[in-house]
Amino acid sequence: MLKFIGGVAAGVVLTGALGYGMADKLMFNETMSPFGVEETVARIQHNIQAAGNGWTLSGLRNPARAVQADGGNTLPVMMVEACSTKYSKPILNEDSVRFLSILMPCKISVYKKNDGKVYIGTMNAGLMGKMFGPLVGEVMGQVAADQKKFLEMDPKKPAPPMIVPKAGGEGGGSGGGGGSNC
Amino acid sequence: MRKLFATVALLAAQALPCAWAATDPAPAPGPAPAAKPASKSTADHTKFKELQQAFKSGPEVTKACLACHTEAGKQITHTKHWTWEWMNPENKQVLGKKHVVNNFCTAVPSNYEFCTACHVGYGWKDANFDFKNETNVDCLVCHDTTGGYKKLPGLAGHPAYKEMEFPPKSGKMVKPADLAKVAQNVGPTSRATCGACHFLGGGGDAVKHGDLDTSLKNPGKYLDVHMDAKGLNFTCAACHATQGHNIPGSRYTPTAADKEAAHMRGKKDDTNAATCQSCHGQKPHKATGVRAKLNEHTDKLACQTCHIPQYARAQPTKMSWDWSTAGKLKDGKPFTVKDSGGHDAYDSKKGDFRYESHVIPEYVWLNGKVKYTLLGDPVNENGVTKINEFFGSPDDGASRIWPVKVFRGKQPYDLESKSLLVPHTAAGYGVRDDTAFWQNFQWEGALQAGAEAAGRPFGGKFGFVATEMTWPITHMVAPKEDALTCTQCHSKSGRLQNVKGIYLPGRDANPWLDLLGGLAALGTLLGVIAHGALRIYMNRKAG
Amino acid sequence: MSTKTIKIYVFKRFERFWHWAQAGLIVFMMLTGFEIHGAYAFFGFEKAVGYHTVAAWSLITLWVFAIFWHFTTGEWKQYIPTLEKVGAMMRYYLTGIFTNAPHPFRQTTLRKHNPLQRLAYLFFLLVISPVIWFSGWFYLFYGAWREWGVDKYLSLEWVAFFHTAGAFMVLIFFIAHIYLATAGHTPTSHIKAMLTGWEEVEEEESAATK
Repeated sequence: MLKFIGGVAAGVVLTGALGYGMADKLMFNETMSPFGVEETVARIQHNIQAAGNGWTLSGLRNPARAVQADGGNTLPVMMVEACSTKYSKPILNEDSVRFLSILMPCKISVYKKNDGKVYIGTMNAGLMGKMFGPLVGEVMGQVAADQKKFLEMDPKKPAPPMIVPKAGGEGGGSGGGGGSNC
Repeated sequence: MRKLFATVALLAAQALPCAWAATDPAPAPGPAPAAKPASKSTADHTKFKELQQAFKSGPEVTKACLACHTEAGKQITHTKHWTWEWMNPENKQVLGKKHVVNNFCTAVPSNYEFCTACHVGYGWKDANFDFKNETNVDCLVCHDTTGGYKKLPGLAGHPAYKEMEFPPKSGKMVKPADLAKVAQNVGPTSRATCGACHFLGGGGDAVKHGDLDTSLKNPGKYLDVHMDAKGLNFTCAACHATQGHNIPGSRYTPTAADKEAAHMRGKKDDTNAATCQSCHGQKPHKATGVRAKLNEHTDKLACQTCHIPQYARAQPTKMSWDWSTAGKLKDGKPFTVKDSGGHDAYDSKKGDFRYESHVIPEYVWLNGKVKYTLLGDPVNENGVTKINEFFGSPDDGASRIWPVKVFRGKQPYDLESKSLLVPHTAAGYGVRDDTAFWQNFQWEGALQAGAEAAGRPFGGKFGFVATEMTWPITHMVAPKEDALTCTQCHSKSGRLQNVKGIYLPGRDANPWLDLLGGLAALGTLLGVIAHGALRIYMNRKAG
Repeated sequence: MSTKTIKIYVFKRFERFWHWAQAGLIVFMMLTGFEIHGAYAFFGFEKAVGYHTVAAWSLITLWVFAIFWHFTTGEWKQYIPTLEKVGAMMRYYLTGIFTNAPHPFRQTTLRKHNPLQRLAYLFFLLVISPVIWFSGWFYLFYGAWREWGVDKYLSLEWVAFFHTAGAFMVLIFFIAHIYLATAGHTPTSHIKAMLTGWEEVEEEESAATK
């Protein structure tokens, strides 16, 4: 009996440890891009604009700039920000999950690593949504499905221009970007 | 703080038709522009009678300069900047801009009027230029401090003397230089004057070198710790310490391994003054402990290998150029295609390009010996022709591992002689020229004219061959905090994974030893486990 | 088997300190060393090198004290090899140990190591140690090779080869050593002895030799 309980306890601890170790891989996603940083950003931006469901670009951040301004270097990193009121409104209207506004707008990060290759980092919106009940779970599930479409890139299509927000835009770099701020 | 995030780089650099010598004002030295800062010079050129005249041309200014600086003209005429010709004493190859072929705009000879916008002289429009005439020396292009002096491609090294449309048919007007004002405000060279040519090499800003572009006119500390405009603010000549107009530091014979101590005043030292070691010496790392180990790397690594982790960190540089697609027309007209960052991806005049920023260099052994593929030399039709081959080996004691930019391209060659061809691309300003590729987009005529100008035969049939040109990376030195970390090389798939001939701990291991040792250790482990299990089993049986 | 045991004092205070300090350092050096070798990433290369170097100097210091101690106390004689009873020891490990046969070696304060141990430790001292110390020394002072005039005769590849070979030998020694620590009078008696200094041995024989 003792052995059985011990076994179960060990199993729980092991699973917990495994889950803890893999949480980052579950919550976040990293894929390689066949294109350069700017082209990857541009293709994602144009996918977002073509995705429908109210999606608009709400900004393009470049945190590497801040590091440079401080006299240091980091490899290029750009964050494409997108927003859809269709998805943000129901969450923002529900007091119990309003704090999830910290996850808004939806972000996709494009960056280069020391191997010289370009990667795309995304949040696993579907899985994360499930942690906050059925309402958020459903909305985030739809966001996740749309997000998948943002990353579909056809190399046969010519590279679109990157959409750069106007300098000095409201919200510290998350300026217009061709869409409304939400 | 907001401002830091405020803008994403608007990568605005526009590729110019070809190197366009343009000087911008040197960065203001102080916060108070009202009062001119006290000059350390002993001469105020505004007070010189010789310079108070209405100059009509560059050579007139030079004549005035030479009246006092009697030896300057002679000095210049002995430099590569003037002759565009230099013989490598090692292998007797005759190099210099006049002779080498590259895989950018390829070659000078049929395009003198255009290319000599970057010559330190006036009037080099064909092979008959008088290299003896010192009044043809252009003093202003290097010594201008006003930023108001521009040499335009197509004018054979002259600036505009009257208002003119440039580029032709662009609708943009260029005002003539105020030669008297420029002449009265001469001073030491600056990043802007050197950069007027060297930042724009290869046909536009940031095209050629990767570690030299217009972002170095006014760089932040992140980009170059020495040239940092708000910090050390080095000019080019701070390192390329020039004597008698002879500038040290050339990639034709790079100093791959400077084994000398730091240069000291009074001590005779004829070695290259532009190396890192010429200031920092042989043991540059002051640290103790494990970091002291860094000094032991200097027998294998160039300083640049760790201290320039990436190049083109402010704006992208051109990485490849495929001439074979040049000449496509849309509705009979040339066109350009931009990439996502707004840089040229295609130009009917030139072909396909690829730009990249924050480029991770490639790494090669270099001992300072370089061999060029010149006109007439055979190309490698089935593989890659090396425009310039860098020599070096881990065992010769003279080589160091260097970061390089490898510029890849495709360019025309003669199917008969199997050697490179050079197209005649640009004509003089306003000249209608049917053989110029950039006017007619016809290869045959352009290659024929190019071959004639270069004094080479052309069989009439041509193809395109893959070429590589290697550029040592030595500028854009990052702050020391941004140097490579140990693991970036000391790991299996690190920066130096392709560099052969050294044992690199963390990357290399003897596979047989690892296999044998691993198996022996595993065997021992399994052995004692089995032994222990048997003991427990027997014990239980007995007990 | 013998029903009565007595305790004898085998390992003196310094000896125990030496053993455990050395054990810790060697384990730590294996951990950092195999990381430098590229087997895994844990501390990161730079830190691993730093720690490995500090541990090496600590171990050298410890050895200087230990050698001094061995010679002043005469304990070095414990490592004089003997072939007496080696066969019996091997037979014991191969068969006797499973049937609880009596241990063929009677431990005393003057003869604390069994003949196989003596051989193993001597092997460690005469083969493994020189291999790992000499190769390690040249590895550490790579930057001084030219000054020493040895750069013509050495290559880092071979220095690293021998150092790695030594490391594998240490690893194997370590595995066997840990296991054999459980092969005393009782599975824990050796370990207790190394911790407290007092070893349990069978009564009548040890009494006789005392």
